[in-house]
Amino acid sequence: MRALFTLILTVCGFWAVEFALFHSSAYSTILRHDSSTGSVETSLRNELRRTRNNPRQILTIGDSRMGFQPRIGNGMHTGYEFASIALGGATPRDWYYMLRGADPSANRYSAVVVALGDYDDSETAEDLSVRAADLYYLIARLKYSDIPEFARSYHHDPKLEWAAARGIVLKGLVYKRDFQEFLLHPTARIEMAMLARKDSYYWVYNYVGPNQNMEGVAIDWKNRTLTVPPGFTDAQKAAYELRFLAERPPYTGVNSAYMHQWIGKIYEHYRGSKTRLVFLRLPRGPFIRPDQPEVNPHSSIREMPGVIIMPEHLFDSIERPGLFVDQMHMNGPGCGEFSRILAKEVSRTLDAL
Amino acid sequence: MLFNTTQFFVFLAIVLALFYAAPRSWRRVILLVGSYFFYLSWNYKFVVLLLGLTVVDFIAGIAIERAPASRKKLFLLISLAANLGMLGFFKYYNFFADNLAQLLRYPSHSWTFSIILPLGISFHTFQSISYVVDVYRGEQVAIHNPIDYALFISFFPQLVAGPIVRAREFFSDLYAWKHPNQEEVLRGVLLIVLGLTKKMAFADQFAQIADSYFKDLSSHPGAFAAWSGVLAFAMQIFFDFSGYTDMAIGMALLLGFHFPVNFRRPYLAFSITDFWHRWHISLSRWLRDYLYIPLGGNRHGRLMTYRNLMLTMLLGGLWHGASWNFVIWGGYHGALLSLERMMGRREFEKRPPLWLYPLRALITFGLVSVGWVFFRAATFADSSYVLSQLIHFQGARQVQALLPRWLVYMTFASLAIAVIEEKFAWTERLSRGPAWAYAAFTILLLLTIELIGVTEKALPFVYFQF
Repeated sequence: MRALFTLILTVCGFWAVEFALFHSSAYSTILRHDSSTGSVETSLRNELRRTRNNPRQILTIGDSRMGFQPRIGNGMHTGYEFASIALGGATPRDWYYMLRGADPSANRYSAVVVALGDYDDSETAEDLSVRAADLYYLIARLKYSDIPEFARSYHHDPKLEWAAARGIVLKGLVYKRDFQEFLLHPTARIEMAMLARKDSYYWVYNYVGPNQNMEGVAIDWKNRTLTVPPGFTDAQKAAYELRFLAERPPYTGVNSAYMHQWIGKIYEHYRGSKTRLVFLRLPRGPFIRPDQPEVNPHSSIREMPGVIIMPEHLFDSIERPGLFVDQMHMNGPGCGEFSRILAKEVSRTLDAL
Repeated sequence: MLFNTTQFFVFLAIVLALFYAAPRSWRRVILLVGSYFFYLSWNYKFVVLLLGLTVVDFIAGIAIERAPASRKKLFLLISLAANLGMLGFFKYYNFFADNLAQLLRYPSHSWTFSIILPLGISFHTFQSISYVVDVYRGEQVAIHNPIDYALFISFFPQLVAGPIVRAREFFSDLYAWKHPNQEEVLRGVLLIVLGLTKKMAFADQFAQIADSYFKDLSSHPGAFAAWSGVLAFAMQIFFDFSGYTDMAIGMALLLGFHFPVNFRRPYLAFSITDFWHRWHISLSRWLRDYLYIPLGGNRHGRLMTYRNLMLTMLLGGLWHGASWNFVIWGGYHGALLSLERMMGRREFEKRPPLWLYPLRALITFGLVSVGWVFFRAATFADSSYVLSQLIHFQGARQVQALLPRWLVYMTFASLAIAVIEEKFAWTERLSRGPAWAYAAFTILLLLTIELIGVTEKALPFVYFQF
C-alpha cells in the first residue's frame, strides 16, 4: 500500500505542478514576447487590458496580411472604437481560439472583422489542417477539454494528432524551447517580459509600417516572366515568381473542409450573440493574376446566414505595386489606405443595419 | 522499439499487466514471448540467430554436465566456437577482411560483405559464454528447462545492451521468485524515471553538441571547441549508457529480478583502476573472470600481469566495435592500468585523502575523456586531429557556440548530485524514506524530462550499436 500511495502521490504531484506552471497563466508571464506563443498571449493580454472609450467596439483579426491599424481607424471618428489582434502566421484555427480568449462570452464587441485571402476557400500552397505551428501559437489557450477537437483536427497526420493531444496534456513539452532559452538568460528574459507587458500595446498601436514598395517590378503574364529593377535581390524575385507565376494548386476541397471547420467554429461562437461577424477580402497583392479562382457558392462564409460579407472588390484600389512592400504585404501607406477604407466601410455597413 | 519511446512503455505496461495477472506457472512463458516480441520488433531476421545460439548453448550446457570429464571440453569448445564464430562473422569479418586485403595490397573492400550487425549480439553471446564456462567449471548447474534458458538469454530489459548477468544471479531470482516488495517497486519506478531523465534530458542534449563537433571537425578548430566536443561526448556516453542500465535494472526489479549494478558514478573515480571498478561493471567483471584470470591474471609476475592487462583491455576495446580506434581505446586504458600497477597498485585502489581527491578525480576524468576521442571519432585520422586540437589554443569563441551555458550548469548540478550520492547513497534511501521526498525527487525528474528532454525524436542508445 505504501508503494501505491507514494506512486499516486507522485503522479498527482506532477500533475499539480504541471498544471500550476503551464495550465495557469504563471508561465505566460515570462514567455518570450515575440515567440509564437508569446505573440498570441501578448496580443490577447493587450486587448483584454486595453482601456475602452466607447461601448461600440470592433475587433479585427487575420494574419500578417491584415494591415489594419486601429490608430488610423480610430482617428476617423466613425463612432466605433477599433482594435486588432491580427497576427503574422496566425491561421483560422488560431483565430478561433484567440477570439475565444479575447471574448469568451461573445459579448464584448459590436462586430468582429475577419480578414480572408479570398471568399472561395481556394487551395493554399500549405495544407493548413496539418500546420504544426498552430500548437505553438495556441498552447497557452488550450485546455484539456480542447483535446478531442483540436487534436482531432490534425487527423490527416496521426503523428501530429498525437503530438497535439500530448502537448495539451503536458504543456511543458511545447514550452520546452522557450524554457531552454529562458535558462540561457533568465534575468534578461524577465526584464524583457516585464517591458513587453508594460509597453507592447503601444509598440503595435503606433506601428507605422515600412515605406519600401514594389514600384518597378513588372510582370509579362503572356510570357510568364517577371522583371525587377536594380536593388531587388534574387531571393525577392524568386518569391515574387512563386506568388505570381507558379501554378495555382488544384482544387481538392482540403482547404474548404478546413475553412468550414474553423470559420464555422468562429461563426458558432458568435451565433445568437449581438456581435456581428464581418468578413472582408484582403487586397490580393500588388499584381492581380489573370487566373483568379472560380467563385465557390458553397464556400465557408457564403453558407453562413446573418454574417456580413463586405464587397469582394472593396480594396481593389490598393492592389498596386506602390502600396505593397512585398508580394503579399502592404507597406505603410498601403496599410494606412486599407485602414481608412476598412474603418469607413465597416462602420457605415454596421450603421446601416 | 527503443526504451525512450511511447511504444515501449505501452509494451512494458502490457507485459507487467499480463505477468502479474497470469498464474505463476505462465509467467516465464509470458516473459519469454514478450522478450522475443521485443527482439522481433527490431529485426525479425535475427531472431533465428538468437534462437539458434540459444539451442546450441542449452544443449551444450546439458552435454557438458552429463559428459565424462574427458569430453566436457569438446562440448565447451563447440559452444564457444558457435558463439565466437557468429560474433566474429557478424561483427569482425569485414574488419579483418578489409585489413587483410589492404595488407596484401588488394583494393580495400575486395572481400567484404554487406553485413548488418544483429542487435545485442555482443551482449547475449557474452552471457551465453559465461553460462557454458560456468557449467564447465562446475560453478553452475546446467539448465534443463529450455524456456528458462531461453528467457535467461533473451530477457528484454537487458537483451540489447546488458548489464551482462551471470547465470547464477538470474536463475536464483527465477527459481526463488518473490513478488517485489514495496521498496523494490518504488526503486524500480525511480530507476526507470531516472534512466529516462539521463537519456533524454542529458545524453541526448550532449549528443547534439558532440555530433555537431565530431561530424564536422574542420568547422570547429581550436582547443575550446575540441574540449567542448570531447567533454560533451564524455557526458553523452555516461548518461546514455548508465541511463539505459538504470532503466534495465528498474524494469527487472518490477518483474522481480535483481540485476547487478553496472555504474557507480564513474566520473568520480580517483584512478583508472577505480574507473574500471565503476564503469560498465558487468563487462569488467566478465573480462576479469573469463579472460584476465584465465590468462593468468597477476599470478605470474609483473610482466605477465601487464601483458594480461593489455590483452584484456585490447580485446575489451575490440568487443565494443570492429575498428582500430576501439583497439587503440582499449590499448590506451590497458596502458594506463599497467602504468598504475607499475606505480603501485594500492596507491590507485586506496581512496586518496579528501584534499587530494578532487585533483585525482579531475586528472582521471581528463584521461578518460581523452580516451573517448578514439571511441567517438570516425577514423584514426579524425582521432589524431582531435587530439592535436585539444592542445591548440585558438578560437576561444567556439566554446560558447558549442556548449550552451545552461547545459554547463546542468553538468555541475549532476556532478553535485553524484557527489552527494557517493557520500549518502540518497537515491537508494529515497525508496525507503518518506513518500513526500520520493515524490518530490521523481516529480523533479519528470519535469526535467518534460522541459529539457529531447522528445522530438527518439535517439537510439549508443551501446545498441555494439
